Amino acid sequence: MDLREEQVGGVTVVQVKGRLDSTTSPVLGERLTQMLGAAKARIVVDFSQLEYISSAGFRVLLQAAKRADENAARLVLCGVSGKVRQLFDLGGFLDLFSIAATRDEGIAAAN
Amino acid sequence: MTQAETTIRNRRGEFGRVVEAVDRLAVEHHLAPEVVMDMQVALDEVLANIVDYAYSDDAEHEIRIRLNIHGNVLEATIEDDGMPFNPLESTVADIHAPLRQRRIGGVGLHFVKNLMSEVRYNRVGDRNRLVLRKRLTD
Repeated sequence: MDLREEQVGGVTVVQVKGRLDSTTSPVLGERLTQMLGAAKARIVVDFSQLEYISSAGFRVLLQAAKRADENAARLVLCGVSGKVRQLFDLGGFLDLFSIAATRDEGIAAAN
Repeated sequence: MTQAETTIRNRRGEFGRVVEAVDRLAVEHHLAPEVVMDMQVALDEVLANIVDYAYSDDAEHEIRIRLNIHGNVLEATIEDDGMPFNPLESTVADIHAPLRQRRIGGVGLHFVKNLMSEVRYNRVGDRNRLVLRKRLTD
């Protein structure tokens, strides 16, 4: 897994490339926790380059979403398609997160 | 090669070797990405479950993973010497709970059961043996 960050105005876009499993998810979890520690964090997580996500990946996303909720931060996901979308659907996660259709819509929603 | 065997210790840092073994077999047999991803997710769930819950001590244990392709099926057999645990009898996660009440427990096994074509469990002596089977084509 590879994380790439880009700042677009006040929004940080984190692109996750590769696989989110029990080996790699803690890295994303630590980074999101760190980012959500800042006041009024605005984060878009772009999954368009993600191959798959296991429950370990969903665990860190759930923790991040709860933290965002508590800290009045915004966490928006985008690029949820193909196998990744199927796994979101299978786990009942599609309604749990704020998911934008495109990266640009994600940035707009987080802003 | 239609078969591969990997033995790992009960540490999360070891899972990468299993991921690589599946990838190697997939390349050699030109397996569809869909099949490979489903097997990778299922193995991650099963191995994480073993490492987190199978042992009552902190000792090192070996988990054996055998991969096979026969006929139209990719098969993974996972054996551990942990406490008896039949994942087929475990409770299913509430996948409809709202964010604040949502717990991740159970989702992994829900994935395993739904992504695999067939899952079988046996207790063999003092070992759990779980067989994951995924059809290569529908």
